[in-house]
Amino acid sequence: MTLRAIQGIRHIRVLPLAPVVATAVTGTGRIASARERGSQYLHSAAIIGYKPKAGLHLRGRCSYSTSTNTSNTNSAEWKTTIGLELHVQLTAAQKLFSTASAKWDDSPNTNINMADAGLPGSLPRLNPQCVELAARAILGLNGQVQPMTSFDRKHYFYSDQPLGYQITQQLHPIGRGGFIELGPGDGFQYTKKVRIHQLQLEQDTAKSIHGVYPGYVLTDLNRAGVALIEIVSEPDLDTAEEASCFVRKMQTLLRHIGVSNCNMEEGSIRCDVNVSVYQKGNDRLSGTRCELKNLNSLKVIRGAINAEVARQIDLISKGQVVEQETRGFDARGNKTFLVRSKEAAPDYRYIADPDIPAIRISNGWVNKVRSTLPELPEATRARLQVQYGLVQEDVETMINEPGCVQFFEQSANGRDPKRVSSWITSEIFGQLSYRTQNLTDNPLTVVQFCDLLDALASDSITSAQAKQLLINFMDGDRRSAQELIQEHGWIIMDDQAQLNDLVSKILDEHPKEVAGYLKGQKRRLNFFVGKAMEETKGQARPQDISRIVKQLIDARSK
Amino acid sequence: MDEFGMGSKNLYSKYGPARNPFRPDDTVGTENYDYSPGGSSGGSGAAVAAGMCRVALGSDTGGSVRLPGAWCGIVGYKPTYGRISRYGLVPYGSSLDTVGIMARTVEDVHSTFKAICIPDHRDMTCMSESLRKRINDMAKSRPWVNKLYEVSPGQSLKIKQPLKGMRIGIPRECWVEELSEPALESWKAGARRLADLGCEIVAVSLPHLPYSLPTYYTIALAEASSNLARYDGIRYGWRSSEKPDDLHNCNASNKYANTRSEGFGIEVQRRILLGTYVLSAQTCEQYYIPSQKIRRLIQQDFDSVFALPNALHAESASAKSRLLTRRPAGVDALLFPTSTNTARLLESKGKNQAAGYVNDVMTVPANLAGIPAISVPAGEKNGMPLGLQLSAQYGDDELLLQIASHLQQ
Repeated sequence: MTLRAIQGIRHIRVLPLAPVVATAVTGTGRIASARERGSQYLHSAAIIGYKPKAGLHLRGRCSYSTSTNTSNTNSAEWKTTIGLELHVQLTAAQKLFSTASAKWDDSPNTNINMADAGLPGSLPRLNPQCVELAARAILGLNGQVQPMTSFDRKHYFYSDQPLGYQITQQLHPIGRGGFIELGPGDGFQYTKKVRIHQLQLEQDTAKSIHGVYPGYVLTDLNRAGVALIEIVSEPDLDTAEEASCFVRKMQTLLRHIGVSNCNMEEGSIRCDVNVSVYQKGNDRLSGTRCELKNLNSLKVIRGAINAEVARQIDLISKGQVVEQETRGFDARGNKTFLVRSKEAAPDYRYIADPDIPAIRISNGWVNKVRSTLPELPEATRARLQVQYGLVQEDVETMINEPGCVQFFEQSANGRDPKRVSSWITSEIFGQLSYRTQNLTDNPLTVVQFCDLLDALASDSITSAQAKQLLINFMDGDRRSAQELIQEHGWIIMDDQAQLNDLVSKILDEHPKEVAGYLKGQKRRLNFFVGKAMEETKGQARPQDISRIVKQLIDARSK
Repeated sequence: MDEFGMGSKNLYSKYGPARNPFRPDDTVGTENYDYSPGGSSGGSGAAVAAGMCRVALGSDTGGSVRLPGAWCGIVGYKPTYGRISRYGLVPYGSSLDTVGIMARTVEDVHSTFKAICIPDHRDMTCMSESLRKRINDMAKSRPWVNKLYEVSPGQSLKIKQPLKGMRIGIPRECWVEELSEPALESWKAGARRLADLGCEIVAVSLPHLPYSLPTYYTIALAEASSNLARYDGIRYGWRSSEKPDDLHNCNASNKYANTRSEGFGIEVQRRILLGTYVLSAQTCEQYYIPSQKIRRLIQQDFDSVFALPNALHAESASAKSRLLTRRPAGVDALLFPTSTNTARLLESKGKNQAAGYVNDVMTVPANLAGIPAISVPAGEKNGMPLGLQLSAQYGDDELLLQIASHLQQ
């Protein structure tokens, strides 16, 4: 949440509003509840609260300017090498190799068929929609869809693996190459391309539920066989922030092209991290890497990486050796713990799946898929900056919200684009956060928004009134702007004589503040304007009030 | 049948072995008459041979339909891999498994085949409609073969040389040391019979054939260890009532071990262990990878001897036109024994279990290459039946059945 957004709505307090939880945003992007900081927040300068709903990504970008957690890792002596493996659930209606529904959160063990349960005699059947979604993901990442791809079996015994093996792609994955670019738009001082090593299709496992019946593990096969793509990055990442940003950008991209919901809370995207450290001057791959698993939020990813880097540096500094291990992250203790050592790592005995012939993918089909892709974020980014002259910050904010770019472009048609984008990123997003909604969930239409902007631009309403109008629209009011303005009875207080009288009265009532202003405390002006706005119930223009106050005070000083 | 299709003597079954309806002439009056019907589809073979049914299905992964065919004196047919859908067939070696048909006559086998040989989208390895059509087009582009079909079934009995124009290959690598005298005699008699029917008999070479038995067992057992991983007793089937040693140990292998050790027979366990071994990280490069390469070489050997191109590799249009202009050098079918000897005793006297694997030496090459093969009754020794095998190019099932029906008469 940007500070601009908070400042932009400071006037809303004077208008009738539903009670809110006042919050504030700290420098690192963390939301602190007002209840934590005391009720004094509910005064006239109250800030409207945001309660990010679980599952919604934070609007705007996180500020990475405070890098207090990473001070160790990028010190002069030690450097970090990070590679990521993302498992992303595809939004296909059916599973990868079975015709059962892919809705894995239905009643347990209802969306299964014989192939998912591994009944003898059942055979896998490739779902073409999954291949298409994988191709979309590859093209969105600027990778190459391979002309020949095949499937392999990865064997291990576990209660969540009904066949005793997972069908995956080890030898000939469907996608190779591609990249995600990190840069100033994401809060970095530099630009870098994080390369993708490969993208492969594979089956998800069943869900294992522990702790419900003591001594038993319950298995829900609904999720068994749901299509995943595993995206493996090259070890190009250097810091925890880069890694977290990479994941966030992947989420945005894949949501944008309709491949996945990419929601870490619901598990539709899962992240494993490989971390090693090396001393400056050495090869960046010279350290022993450890794998970190079960990281279920961006914050946990950053914490885990930093904790692991600290651990490895500590070990090496003491003259000990970093063993290749699989580790988990304990968020409370802020350290990683051993899950599995290299010796205990299973031998997967990969073989090409003999039930599934190799798949040939033609250029023509790839081109057809490419033609159905929406405009990719880099292209949009460039276009918004060049065509409309927007700042990077606003561009990023709008790109990260599905449907927002389209909303902006339609509204900006024939209007000042900077004003439009400012209204969107401050006012509209502020309201959306408060309502914990996405833009696409809210009934606000482009037409309503445009009417509002036009009324404001032609001075028929004040900005405070425009904000109220916005709230009406976003509450679901379907009436036109004109009708609402009529109903509210907003007439701008324009009568100079009336305003002069009003301001004079205020100045009379507050001699101390007048004296303070004359002594040089110019910020007293806000106090007078605030009082006048209260008196006029926001129906005067703040700039008029401001002008009149200055005039009258100067007159009095003489 | 041998459980999970693993066995050549129909010995390994929880319900007890199946017995060959035939027994040697010199055992009449003795107690010594438990002979194997062959395996693994020995039950089907015995049932057909004993007249209990007209047709029976089996599964042929390394000869499991053809060997019972030979040892029970009936027809055992393994179609081209992919002709008949494997959906519903309990998998053993997925790249080798084929549904097979057994009957007393080739005609009965053929009519059953026509009924069940259809595309099935539920099996991705089942031949598609378009591939079947492509094979058919190519097969019908052989003028010397089309002559055969010009004769109506009724007439063919009257023609002296109904197979005139056919070229039959005798693979010299099938002349193995283990081949018994009766089997060799039956082979020669078969060749003479085909010559009488008008065939040209030529010698051919399949240089990599001697490697087929170890190649087969490496690949089949590797795939079996994979296909049988699903039998853990959790969702269906036998589940051990014994508690695992450590309830809290999350290593599922411990929990599964009791169920699988109790539920699988000794031969199945043997094959799973061997298959797991050849796939393990240390030995994969030594056994499994080379086996797949040898398999490709064996398949190329077959492609080099047959006149009909392999539809999976050939560019159909040019292949077709080449066939139409000039008859290529290759053969139309191969003739070789099904088994090195007649049926063995159910209980073997030797301690070496792997010695039984040598029964498959004649039958596994067809599974490795995916080509069709059929065993027809061909003589007997001491009252025990012998079988001869015919094999043709990938997809050439119709011609194979045609030649086989003449050989049987």
